[in-house]
Order: sequence, then C-alpha cells, then structure tokens
Amino acid sequence: MELLLVAFAGGVLALDATSVGQFMVSRPLVAGALAGWILGEPGTGLLVGALLEAYLLVLVPSGGSHYPEGATATVVAVAAVTASEATGALPLGIAAGLVWGQVGGLTINVQRRLNGRIVPEPDAGDPGRVAAAHVLAIALDFLRGASVTLVGAWAGRWALPTFADSWPLGAGGTNGLLLMGGAVSAGILLRSLGGFRRRRILFAAGLALGLVGARVL
Amino acid sequence: MATLDRWTLASAFARSFLIQGSWNYRTMLGSGFAFAMLPALRVLFRESPAALEASLRRHLEHFNAHPYLSGVALGAVLRMEGDGEDGEAVRRFKTAVRGPLGGLGDALVWAAWLPAVSLIGLALYWLGAPGWVAVLAFLAIYNVGHVGLRVWSFKVGLGGGRGVARSLGAAALTRWTERIRAAAALLLGLFVGAAFEGEPGLVAAGPAWAALAAAAFVGGLLVGHRLWRPAAVAVVAAVALLATWGLAS
Repeated sequence: MELLLVAFAGGVLALDATSVGQFMVSRPLVAGALAGWILGEPGTGLLVGALLEAYLLVLVPSGGSHYPEGATATVVAVAAVTASEATGALPLGIAAGLVWGQVGGLTINVQRRLNGRIVPEPDAGDPGRVAAAHVLAIALDFLRGASVTLVGAWAGRWALPTFADSWPLGAGGTNGLLLMGGAVSAGILLRSLGGFRRRRILFAAGLALGLVGARVL
Repeated sequence: MATLDRWTLASAFARSFLIQGSWNYRTMLGSGFAFAMLPALRVLFRESPAALEASLRRHLEHFNAHPYLSGVALGAVLRMEGDGEDGEAVRRFKTAVRGPLGGLGDALVWAAWLPAVSLIGLALYWLGAPGWVAVLAFLAIYNVGHVGLRVWSFKVGLGGGRGVARSLGAAALTRWTERIRAAAALLLGLFVGAAFEGEPGLVAAGPAWAALAAAAFVGGLLVGHRLWRPAAVAVVAAVALLATWGLAS
C-alpha cells in the first residue's frame, strides 16, 4: 500500500515537471519532503531532497532538452533510504536517485516520441480529437511517472538494506562525499551566473553571510 | 474582441498551464497551443465549423516558446483571431515570436529565477530553518514570480495583439534577468557558506573532504556544464565501490 502511495505521488510530481503547471512541486527539495512525509520520515525525505536539489540545481526542465528526471528520482531515493536506518542508506539512496533520474529521463524521451504519434496531424482540424489527444498524453505521462517510481522504489527498498549495513564510512565522511558532488553543481552555477570574476563580490558577500549565519543560527 | 467573454478568456488562460501536456518532437507545443485556444475558437467560430477547423489546423502546426511566456503568443493570437485577421498573418506572427519567447523565458526563468529561488530554499535548510519553512518559502516565492509572469504575459498578449513586441521591449525582461542573476550569485555564496559550516556540512566532515569539495567547486567553475555528468557518475561509482568493499570486508 505504501509503495502504491509513493508511486501515485511520483506520477503526480512527474506531471508537474513538464505537462501540468510547472509549479515546481517536482523539484527535489519539495518532492523529497513530500515522499518523506508519506513514508513517515519527513526529516530524511527533506535531507535527501536537499542533497539532490544541490546536485540537480543546474539542470532545468527546458522543453526540448534531455535531462534527468528529478521528481521520480527523489521519490525513489527517499523510498530507498527509508528502507534502512544504517548510515549507508543515505549515500546508496542518493546514488540510486542519480541513476534512476537517468532512467526517468529516458522514459520522458520515449513519451515525447509517443506524443508525436498521438497528437493529430496539423491537417486534421477536429476539435474533439485535439482535446482527447492532449488529455491522453497527460494521462500517459502520469502513468509513466508512477510506473518509473514504483519500479525504482521497489528495487531500491529491496536491494539497499543488503549494502547499507556494511557501509564503511562514518557520518562525517559520508556527508563529505555527498556534498562534494553538490560542490561541482555550485561551481557550474557560478559560472553560468556570470563567472567568478564578474560575480566575486556578491558571491563573497553571500559566502561570508552563510558562514556567519550557520554559526550563529 | 467583444465576442470573447471573461469566462472564455479565463478558460484559455487556465489551459495555458497544460500547454506542454502533449509536448512532442514533431510539433513541440503546437498541439498544446491548439488545446489552449480551443474554448475561444469554439466561441469565435460558433457559426462556422469549417472556419473553426481551418483555424485549429493553423494552431496545430509546429510552435515553441517558454511555457510561462507562451501566454504572450496565446493572448495576442486570441486578439488577432477575434479581430478577424487573416490566417496567414496569424501564422507569420507565431513564427516571428516563438524564438524570442523561448530565449527570453529560458534566460529569465530557467537560468535565473528557478536557481535563485532554489538557492533560497537550500540556504534556509542548511542554515537550520525548519524543513517546512525551506519548502514553503521556495514554493511561495517561486510561484509568486511564476503565476505573476503567466498572468502578465497573457494580459500583455491580449492587449498588444500583433504589436505585442513593443510591450515586451518596454518590460525590459533582459534587465530583470540580469538583476535576478546577480541576486542568485549572492544566494549561491550564502548556500555554499551554509553548507560548509552548517549541518550536514563540510566542516564536520573534516578538512580532507572540505579540500576535495573546494576542488570540485573550482572544477565546476572552470569546466561548466560538461562536468556535471562525469561528476554524477564519479559519485555513483564511489558509492558503489565503497558499498562493495564494505560488503566484502
């Protein structure tokens, strides 16, 4: 039952990424919190979501681009991490999310090719067909997201406990390893925001605020 | 435009939130655009099914734009169709605006607004704010900009019709994009500082991990987007190797 709820959430969140609304509830930060809440571990869900958000910060749901699917990846990662209480659950879940994001991205491409067959040719001007094809494409996207999430969450919850218990790093090293990947995205983002030379004063001011803020708060 | 009432316009606007629902590599937003136009076209061509079909055919053709700014084209085309403008003029207008609406929207929303607001959420999380505060702050701030931009773009399109380019120019979207990008640089610094010092953070992980993360940051800064995939593969490979090693030992 829990897995079906998670799959349903994955389907709804996958819709938000492109097909319906784009209110960004599909971003990892939100998807992680929601999946964690469904699975009874909101704190874990939020941590997974925040880490994956840091990774996927530089990848955007631009219409025609190929990108990993963050929403289903995050739900799968949270489902996997909550299957074990060992320290190793977090890195394994994040890795599973990163891999599953690619799988989700591939299914998006398949869905878009399928949509090309579903939508009427421009020389067909039947209003009923236009509306029906559009609604069908949205329904298929929901099913795609839900299926990707269901398979990933089931596999993650089944496989992760085998490896999580024997994870060799402590909590500090594990967080260090995971934050290193996020640091690459942060560097890429600074480059795309104008580069270090152009943004150094603003970046340095923010850095100082962040360092002081984290100590004080 | 007198023939389109508020309800019909609201219906077209609401459908613009689904405009990417049937996104495909053949017509891209084309069928979504036609879907959003449908309630208005049904009203405008109530007396002539043949004219409705002809208009629908035009809108099923290839079209692309940023989804949040597609309202500019949608509103303007509704105005043109309502004013009884020639079908070829409508087609030429859509061809002319699709590039600018895509480029402006990608730069403003995907490359500036989304990362800036995501960084607010991330910084709040790493600064120790309650999780729901980080999530709600992200969603509320992001969607004020998102929905506001959609409403503005639809209104601008409806008001400007085929002359909408003047309103777009006056709105100075490029200047807004630059301001948001500057703010995002400050927020990125805030997030990096918080992730360094906060919890879970790099200080707690130890100096070796902090040095490696600094090197990864510089790598991303120097190489750019090309480094994202190799970095993700490296993290997954490191996790897989460590897990296998742990299991074997």
